[in-house]
Amino acid sequence: MVHETDAILFADWIWPALLFFLEAAALLGLLALIGGFLVAAFRYGPMAGGDTAYRMIRTGLVDFVSISPRRIAALSWLAVQESLRRRVLVGFGVFLLILLFAGWFLDSRSNDPAALYLSFVLTATTWLVLLMALFLSALSLPADIKNHTIYTIVTKPVRPGEIVLGRIIGFAVIGSILLAIMGVFSYVFVSRVLSHTHEVEVASLKKAPNDPTGAQTGRTSSVLNHRHQVNLDEKGNGSTDIVQGHYHQVTTERDGDKVRYVLSPPRDLLTARVPLYASGLRFKDRTGKGSDRGINVGNEWKYRSFIEGGSLAAATFTFDDITPERFPEELPIEMTIRVFRSYKGDIEKGILGSLVLKNPRTGRASQLITFRAKDFYIDSLPISRKLTDPAGNSIDLFADLVVDGQLDIELQCLDDSQYFGVAKPDIYLRARDASFTMNFVKSYLSIWVQMLLVTGFGVMFSTFLSGAVAMMATLATLVMGFFKQFVFDVAQGSIQGGGPIESFIRIFKQQNVTTQLEPGLTTDVVKAGDQVFMWFMSHVTTLLPDFRHFDDVDYVAHGFDIPPDTILIQLFTALAYVAAVFAIGYFFLRTREVAR
Amino acid sequence: MNERQRFTRKIVYACVIAALLLPLSWLSQPETTESKGGMLAQMRAANQLSQAQLGEIDPASETIKLATLGMRGVAANVLWTKANNYKKTEDWVGYSAALEQIAKLQPNVVSVWIFLGWNLTHNVSVEFDDFHDRYYWVIRGINYRQEGTKYNRDSPRLLSDIGWTIAQKLGRADEKVQFRRLFREDDDFNGSRPLAQRDNWLVGREWLMKAEQVAARGVAVRGERPVLFHSHPVMCLVNYAEDLEEEGTFGEVAKNAWRKAAASWAELSNRDLPTLSNVFVRLGDKEIYDERSKKAQEELDRLATADLKEKFKAEKLASLTTAERDAYLAPADRRTTQQNELLYAVNDKMTIGHIDLAERVPGENRAAALKAAEEATFADMMSNLINIERDVVYYHYWMLRCQIEPEDSTLEARKLIFEADRAFTAAQLVKASELYDQGMKKWREVLDAYPALLKDASTTDPLVDSINHYRSVLHQLDEKFPKPFVLQDVLEADATFHGLPLPEGEQGSEAPPSGDAAKASP
Repeated sequence: MVHETDAILFADWIWPALLFFLEAAALLGLLALIGGFLVAAFRYGPMAGGDTAYRMIRTGLVDFVSISPRRIAALSWLAVQESLRRRVLVGFGVFLLILLFAGWFLDSRSNDPAALYLSFVLTATTWLVLLMALFLSALSLPADIKNHTIYTIVTKPVRPGEIVLGRIIGFAVIGSILLAIMGVFSYVFVSRVLSHTHEVEVASLKKAPNDPTGAQTGRTSSVLNHRHQVNLDEKGNGSTDIVQGHYHQVTTERDGDKVRYVLSPPRDLLTARVPLYASGLRFKDRTGKGSDRGINVGNEWKYRSFIEGGSLAAATFTFDDITPERFPEELPIEMTIRVFRSYKGDIEKGILGSLVLKNPRTGRASQLITFRAKDFYIDSLPISRKLTDPAGNSIDLFADLVVDGQLDIELQCLDDSQYFGVAKPDIYLRARDASFTMNFVKSYLSIWVQMLLVTGFGVMFSTFLSGAVAMMATLATLVMGFFKQFVFDVAQGSIQGGGPIESFIRIFKQQNVTTQLEPGLTTDVVKAGDQVFMWFMSHVTTLLPDFRHFDDVDYVAHGFDIPPDTILIQLFTALAYVAAVFAIGYFFLRTREVAR
Repeated sequence: MNERQRFTRKIVYACVIAALLLPLSWLSQPETTESKGGMLAQMRAANQLSQAQLGEIDPASETIKLATLGMRGVAANVLWTKANNYKKTEDWVGYSAALEQIAKLQPNVVSVWIFLGWNLTHNVSVEFDDFHDRYYWVIRGINYRQEGTKYNRDSPRLLSDIGWTIAQKLGRADEKVQFRRLFREDDDFNGSRPLAQRDNWLVGREWLMKAEQVAARGVAVRGERPVLFHSHPVMCLVNYAEDLEEEGTFGEVAKNAWRKAAASWAELSNRDLPTLSNVFVRLGDKEIYDERSKKAQEELDRLATADLKEKFKAEKLASLTTAERDAYLAPADRRTTQQNELLYAVNDKMTIGHIDLAERVPGENRAAALKAAEEATFADMMSNLINIERDVVYYHYWMLRCQIEPEDSTLEARKLIFEADRAFTAAQLVKASELYDQGMKKWREVLDAYPALLKDASTTDPLVDSINHYRSVLHQLDEKFPKPFVLQDVLEADATFHGLPLPEGEQGSEAPPSGDAAKASP
């Protein structure tokens, strides 16, 4: 699985994040206070304005400490009822329709159907739930204000903060219920679609070449647009090759003369690997000199670095926390290695590579462990605890090679002038397998977090904007959140084509992004205007949530466990945003006549 | 604005909308059994643009188009961008899923199927190291385009592209040996097709012929010269026969394959082919036009006296500038560079056209001379046009190959060299040496009978590879490379084609041995 950035541990993240949150909150609070004072001073004079601002803060604090869970629960229930009145269940109907007809739109010949179907259901759920949250949260309060139904609430002893929080919680509850139902349906859908078995085509079974033991090879029937090669031992047991990301185990049942081959359900199809990634990766060039990166073989995507075969070039992965308790029998290495051939070579064979396990302190090493690289596949290479060194002496993994839980694994390509490409997450230890069901639940938790964010922003915008405008503002937040990096890069000027005004001119004049605008006063004005825009964009973008950070679809789709740290970071980030939008929403609602 | 004004305004809007809808409804009336429908329906039918005429009506495609709510272009752009990003980051699952969706959004844009199918067969497949994976993606690309034919059943370009890909990608790639083997074993692609027919060239030909059938119904073939378009199925048979021999199948099977190829070339020779000059020609008619031209020129020569020709030539010479005349009259070996540059234009000026000559014929012969001149000019033009088309498809060479390959001597020569190469690979040096000796002698006979074969590297390249193996065998047996060598002319021709010098001591000053000399060597 591709990780373009290193995963962050919750413990490392929480304190700097908390500090940033407090700083941003203080700054925004101060700006809001000054802004509020200026507006009030303009309307009522400086003294009265000051008094108004002071009262606003004082009342706010009183309201905050006097929040009643009972009233919030009642208001939340109202929000739930309102959602039901607004036929929110239509969203679920649409979801069912999508599932029913998914087969029409999905690629039935995909080489990784699990990834495809899981990505599909999770993405479809995300967008449906987010859109539903958007409509519900942004339109509710303005509609109540417009229809004056808000007076049935504000005339009762409730505080504005409770109205805001009640709506956020109410919409979140209805969204959660919908998500839970969608989750169950999605799980059943994916499990049913991917569940299959094959039959061994008995006529295809042949004795394995150069094998005197009586082993056989053959193939299975074609099911769901794929078939497997079968390798059976002399007793008729064995397994299939990996096709479409899974394999089957084969057992033989004999009833007199009758032989029946039974294939297991697919293995490794719906899984949740818990990987132990390397803490560091360093390279050696062809002369054996150390470097941070390997060679670029001409790929635009610089994720992986390449090492040259038949030379001293190597990639060394450093692993921490290798203990006999975690790995009592063997080191379950899994790797995805990219192959780049600089000449055709022997097409029938993969490129030969080797792994060497090394003591990071003494340099003591195991003998070469060779393998043929399987490009684009996760290749398993379990390494026994008992090893031999290059001189043929027996060594023990933990006694001789692991020091303070640390171990180096050195990868080399052995075929002359052929290349291996790796990134840090490409070689890992499969520490254990977590429950796929739990992983699926965790992915829904990340969707829930996104829904909570959209709901919060929607309610916040609806406290001071009309329904349609609040919806547009929430949608803009969502879109900006999904393209945060791009918007930030535009704001920083690191993307060709200039800022928003310059881009607009280029689009209008059909001018490409690389040509210079004609020098002159107009261009100067445009660029100056863009600077203002870009400053604004840069600061607004910094404050908005990055929705891509809440996206855990890839983990589930590629069969990796979502790290608990990631979930915790997502939860805390969302709660921080909800707290912020609640506070903003409260103050804006306070400014409305209806809430006074 | 009061309530009444608002109501009035709504009524006005409704009336305007209804007024606009009426003509629209009239224009877009659907076609029924009783009527031809509105103008839009008629135009759709006339231009064969209705979905039913283009291909299958796919509910998935229609749904996805409808779901984009008129933003199909934007959606397609977003998907193309996503697909490019997936390709960059090597996410092939996402890439192929995006391709499927793009195709569903734009099912009737043939170039989308071709372009994206090409991406799968040629660009994605090579990203994988294992040839099984490569084969999988090649077939994915072919299947993708086959899916496209459901929506565009009358596109000769798409059908031809499928045939070309099955034939050429599987039969010409670096992994062609493995691809052809996997293709024969591929029950999922071939279905119930008999094993003998499971050859990429033959299956590719089936699709190419489907394209020809569609073209024969009057659908224009765009983007490809007609002679090339029609030569693909013929060349499939040639390549099939070649690959049979390359894989060690000789005898009657190979002979029949070559005969079929020859018959197919003969068929192509008699097909009316449009040319770029909007004139239809037949590849096989060149000799007929040459004969007609010859006869007409003889008649013209009879009517126009030698004096007349000389006089005409002298006039033309006199009309040249001094520099042009000097260039024209100078002996070839003494012409300066400048004169050589001038010569092309001068020769053009000095050429005496048939019509020009006929117009100078005096008296009662003039009319007959003009008729003969017109006939000669027309026949020359047709001959030239045919020649151009013949050159495009390498007509002479392939006709010659199809003629000689089924002959016993050629088959025997190829078989001996094939077996020698196999013995060489198996390190059976003595056997290889003997087989090479016999095979090269046989090749000598073939080349003596058909020296034109030496004009093409397709003949010499594989032979030179085998000669190099032979050289290696002799070296390992501690024997010298024979001189004179029986296929010396092959080595020389190869050196000329590739602009390389012959190995030290193998420069053949002697003429290529033939007849008795061949018997003495190697």
